[in-house]
Amino acid sequence: MVDKIKVKDLSCYYNKKCVLESLSINIAQNEILSIIGPANSGKTTFLRTLNRMNDLDVTYSRTGKVYLVGDNIFDMNMENLRKRIGMLFAMPIPLPVSIYENIIYAPKRLGLISKKSEQDAIVEQALKDASLWNEVKDRLSSSAMKLSGGQQQRLCIARILAINPEVILFDEPCSGLDPISTAKVEESMIELKQRYTIVLVTNNVKQASRVSSRTAFFLMGKLVEIDKTDRLFVSPKEKRTEDYITGRFG
Amino acid sequence: MIKLNPKLSQKLSYTILFLATVLAVVPVVVIIFIIIKNGASAITWEFLTSMPKDGMRGGGILPAILGTLSIVTCAIAITLPIGVCAAIYLSEYAKNNLLTRIVKLAIVNLAGVPSVVYGLFGLAIFVMFLKLGVSIIAGALTLSIMELPVIITTSRSALNSVPYSFREASLSLGVSRWQTVRYIVLPNAIPGILTGAILSISRISGETATILFTAAAFSVPHLPHSVLDQVMTLPYHLYIISTQIPNMPENVIFGTALVLLLMVLTMSFVAIVTRIYFRKRRKW
Ligand SMILES: Nc1ncnc2c1ncn2[C@@H]1O[C@H](COP(=O)(O)OP(=O)(O)OP(=O)(O)O)[C@@H](O)[C@H]1O
Ligand SMILES: [Mg+2]
Repeated sequence: MVDKIKVKDLSCYYNKKCVLESLSINIAQNEILSIIGPANSGKTTFLRTLNRMNDLDVTYSRTGKVYLVGDNIFDMNMENLRKRIGMLFAMPIPLPVSIYENIIYAPKRLGLISKKSEQDAIVEQALKDASLWNEVKDRLSSSAMKLSGGQQQRLCIARILAINPEVILFDEPCSGLDPISTAKVEESMIELKQRYTIVLVTNNVKQASRVSSRTAFFLMGKLVEIDKTDRLFVSPKEKRTEDYITGRFG
Repeated sequence: MIKLNPKLSQKLSYTILFLATVLAVVPVVVIIFIIIKNGASAITWEFLTSMPKDGMRGGGILPAILGTLSIVTCAIAITLPIGVCAAIYLSEYAKNNLLTRIVKLAIVNLAGVPSVVYGLFGLAIFVMFLKLGVSIIAGALTLSIMELPVIITTSRSALNSVPYSFREASLSLGVSRWQTVRYIVLPNAIPGILTGAILSISRISGETATILFTAAAFSVPHLPHSVLDQVMTLPYHLYIISTQIPNMPENVIFGTALVLLLMVLTMSFVAIVTRIYFRKRRKW
């Protein structure tokens, strides 16, 4: 297995307070890595470090290195990095424009489209890959704000797919969704695994076991254990992992 | 303290609040009523489109209308782009350090400086030091400096009302900061910025003190043809005809006031309609 992302001794701080401590972790190409752990264990902080969304926060600082196939992401141009590592937030954030415009927005701004005629094809492909096409193909020009929560979340996935990243970070993408919408999002995630490397933060242990090949357990800013998903859930090495999985705390 | 029963105190507070509202509204209504009653008879096509005659006692007020319009147009054309750019810088780019906080505080407080002070400043800098003379451009520059803090403040609150999550969504897709501002933040802030701008226009249309120092003339026998011309303006003209000229027909004075009032009210009305229009269209 080729490593897509290598995290070396990463520590993150808000206002000098350490929330993620000497994390080292490798993420293989085309795998779905789940990250589970109780609230405040640093999962979101980790994702927002990977595509440097946290660099916008002045109270945030970090040490350590993260390599994306050989390049240290902290030396990279932020826009290029975010184009290669897309991120899906817990709450879907459609832009206040039409469904069509939502998808085509980033490709247009990033100069990925040379001809106008390519637009329709990009929109259709992205929506299909996010399993949303059938539901919205007749109303592409209506406002994205009018979609249901689950549809909005898949629209946000489609929006990321349209810029064709290498890695996609999902931060509890189903926390606000009903089981059917959740199933649809999971379905598209498994679909996407063929082409992308996926990091999925989830509060749902079952979800992790449904979609991911490996799972990491974070606790209070530390990586406690990482292993093949079925092994981690069936026979965790650490007592703390077992306690969390069986619901004894967190 | 006497303890009122709840029903009575409810009634009493309702009455007090209602009276206060009436008290606030009545003078405005009375003023508008008096101005219309005394001035409406002066408003004719000729009044709006001809030069003054008979030592301003007759004829029209065209030069004053055009004077005010040209100063206001120049002023807003200068202040709006600068103000919006400054607001974008302060809201979207500036690091939140001590210097930025001082600048922000200064801007808020500058909005409270009396206009006569700006007038004096304009006289010293634009009229005398830069040798622009008493002119449209000197008046417009002075007014733009006066309005800048207001435009910056209203533009900043318009920018800040655009949810932060939209910026995050855009940035997370690899779109640059400037493009995010240009294509996401600005389009959604435009209604607020426009409303602020229109209200500024209506505010400076009635501005007298600054203009007195920098642009206005007692009487100019021709229409303005360059920005370096002195001009008559509506507020100053109103002041002159009501205090400096004996035997001034009352309906001309009130007619002039009515024109000024209509100009300002139209602008505020446009601002309100703009706001309603955009609020209806807003999708979040
Ligand atoms: N912007 C911020 N400023 C200051 N502290 C923060 C900020 N974001 C997170 N923290 C703190 O950092 C720690 C880790 O938070 P993080 O959001 O990464 O946890 P999480 O594992 O994602 O939790 P959850 O499951 O609740 O989403 C928490 O103690 C949190 O209070
Ligand atoms: Mg989180």
